[in-house]
Amino acid sequence: MSEKRKYKKRYCKYCEAKIDFIDYKDVASLRFSLSERYKIMPRRLTGNCKKHQDMVSNVIKRARAAAFVPYVVTRKEVVPNPFEILK
Amino acid sequence: MRHYENLVIVKPTLTQEELEQEIKAVEEVITSNGGEIAATDAMGMRKLAYPIQKNERGYYHVIYYKVAPSAISEIERRFRINENLLRFMTVKYENKKEITAWNKMVEKAKNAPAPATEEKKEEAASEEAAE
Repeated sequence: MSEKRKYKKRYCKYCEAKIDFIDYKDVASLRFSLSERYKIMPRRLTGNCKKHQDMVSNVIKRARAAAFVPYVVTRKEVVPNPFEILK
Repeated sequence: MRHYENLVIVKPTLTQEELEQEIKAVEEVITSNGGEIAATDAMGMRKLAYPIQKNERGYYHVIYYKVAPSAISEIERRFRINENLLRFMTVKYENKKEITAWNKMVEKAKNAPAPATEEKKEEAASEEAAE
């Protein structure tokens, strides 16, 4: 439920920022449209418009192929993550 | 001529010299097929989001170039043969918005290595002054 409340105001953040191209190498900008498990967030939660959602999903898939963003995060992989931060 | 971008991930086990050679070879593949390299962006050694061929890290290198669309299949075929490349990805920039974005990224990539050369110039200048 907390997730629902977080996205209650529905407007497209990408339209507001007037973004017409997203670079797949810029991982920080993709974080908004990814869930904790690195799934692509649905439009009904983020409020993205169709045009930007298509763009975002395309870019995320590219970033996955280039190993910038993981395809899946399982429990096995979540555990070693805190140690990465220490490095 | 169409605008393209190629991302290449080189094996992390190579030495510095071998890495440089590998990248030169990659760029040569593009130029020998009639490509014009606009800019290159060395992102350096990075951690991969998931292991590729049991490698946890990889050396990222991005090349922006223009080439005739028919040459892409040959370029990709050559990349596929190369065993030192963990992954490569070709991105096409077609419509107006994408091409303006491409130009911006080329400018950015060109400006990024500029400080290094300036430092060299400064070093040279200081050396001259020392002499």
